[in-house]
Amino acid sequence: MTLPLRIKAPLIFFPALLLSWECAVWLAGAAKIMPYPSGVALAAIRDIADGTLIDAIAGSLRRVITGFAVAALLGVPLGLLMGLVEPVRRALDPIVDSLRAIAPIAWIPLALLWLGIRGNAALFIVAYAAFFPFVLNTIQAVRLIDRKLVDAARALGASPLLVLRAVVVPGAVPTVMTGARIAMAFAWGSIIAAEMAIGIKVNPGGAATVGLGQLMVSTLYVKRDINGLVLYMLSIGLVSLAIDHGVRAFQRKATPWQR
Amino acid sequence: MATLTTPKIEARSVSKIYVSARTGDKVEALRGVSFSMKPGEFVSIVGPSGCGKSTLLSLIAGFATPSAGEVLFDGKPIDGPDPARGVMFQDYALFPWRTVRGNVEFGPMARGVDKTRRAAIVARNIEMVGLAGFEDRYPHELSGGMRQRCALARLLANEPDMWLMDEPLAAVDLQTRVILQDELLRLWGDAGDPAQRRAVLFVTHGIDEAVYLSDRVIVLGRRPGQVKEIVDIDLPRPRIGARTAPRAAALIDHIWNLIRAEAAQAIVEEP
Ligand SMILES: Nc1ncnc2c1ncn2[C@@H]1O[C@H](COP(=O)(O)OP(=O)(O)O)[C@@H](O)[C@H]1O
Ligand SMILES: [Mg+2]
Repeated sequence: MTLPLRIKAPLIFFPALLLSWECAVWLAGAAKIMPYPSGVALAAIRDIADGTLIDAIAGSLRRVITGFAVAALLGVPLGLLMGLVEPVRRALDPIVDSLRAIAPIAWIPLALLWLGIRGNAALFIVAYAAFFPFVLNTIQAVRLIDRKLVDAARALGASPLLVLRAVVVPGAVPTVMTGARIAMAFAWGSIIAAEMAIGIKVNPGGAATVGLGQLMVSTLYVKRDINGLVLYMLSIGLVSLAIDHGVRAFQRKATPWQR
Repeated sequence: MATLTTPKIEARSVSKIYVSARTGDKVEALRGVSFSMKPGEFVSIVGPSGCGKSTLLSLIAGFATPSAGEVLFDGKPIDGPDPARGVMFQDYALFPWRTVRGNVEFGPMARGVDKTRRAAIVARNIEMVGLAGFEDRYPHELSGGMRQRCALARLLANEPDMWLMDEPLAAVDLQTRVILQDELLRLWGDAGDPAQRRAVLFVTHGIDEAVYLSDRVIVLGRRPGQVKEIVDIDLPRPRIGARTAPRAAALIDHIWNLIRAEAAQAIVEEP
């Protein structure tokens, strides 16, 4: 075989690692408190077969996507306004900065109080987390717009509205897209925390309408299934990679003029 | 009303002082610049770097306003950009998210020309600058010379009364530049009826280029930018194919002697 070392090395190393991990757990007799590869694999088969895993991922993703969309719908126009109108930026900068300094999950108690536990609270947390990357990157995007392109458009007869539509908006797209990637990462990161915090109250028995966060809480306190927990952690990572991949692919499609 | 005797451009004691928003520092870019341009005249501006050539062009384009004095276009004070004064920028300022077609189409679209007429205008101008077949390329997929042609097509598609060009040939290699100079003259109407020509204000740091192309050359001195001399280029037209007239060499020498000392100074002063 002439596989390059870059591929060959992990191909040997990774199974070896899994095998020694498996052996170590059994030899130490720690299978009750330590996860092990075969257990995780069995949990995966079980949860995929009965739909638990897919349902939970879908539940979380639905909230993430909704919250992300709300954040984009509110954050991008606000960023445009702040980027284009200096006094607005000066007035709102301190507010945005101080709100941004509050960790999204710190809002959970108030969100629960105002929005209840049926999922809207988690949605709020997600939207909150995703909102700031949109605002900040849109402000930055507007500032980075090449002044010459605005002049070029004006000299060609463009109205202020056309300058906004045909120069400012497309010129801002790449930087806003970068913001969207950060926003997505933040959204996905905070949904788990939000669902965990909310899940304890709503779903002690592990009933329906849960996301990955609720599933993890019930797995920890009700089922005490350590391998299941690791499976969910891996799922969180995989979904996160898939999301970033998707956003990047969309970014390339949306900005075909970029190298 | 503009009449035959109304200058296309008239600059009256124009000064421009930039004030830095951050530090409050002032830069006097132009001081007391006066000149006028006839319709159909090809005028170049030369001078050492930093002498205010781009500043002067931007005042005429309407991107900025003079700190003192005024600039008239067809006898009326310039009040913001106007598609009648087409601009070509030093680095072309093509819209990176628009293809060649999209860039050339922008002006007619902005002025509300309907789709079918627009398509015809675009096709004609892309053909004219030799970019047929490259309509769907993005600017980053073009060579420097092709970008330059695209910028030229974008300018021409708007049929402006006047062309304002800021070092349009600076970024291409020497052979390409020579070819593009001839194409520019051809498009302007070097061999044609003088009444059909557009007024061109052409910024360059190439003195030979200015002499080859222009009817008159405005020589600016630096810090602050002032008119040193306006040199009549009394070479016959058409000039395409006649680059090495002895008279041209004498004019080039003359202009070079006007700015030599300051150009040398500019090298050591550039930040
Ligand atoms: N927007 C600006 N703000 C402050 N200073 C400027 C600005 N534009 C140009 N300048 C200064 O004005 C002078 C003339 O610049 P410019 O017109 O670009 O010269 P040129 O095109 O002849 O090289 C330079 O000293 C430059 O630094
Ligand atoms: Mg310049």
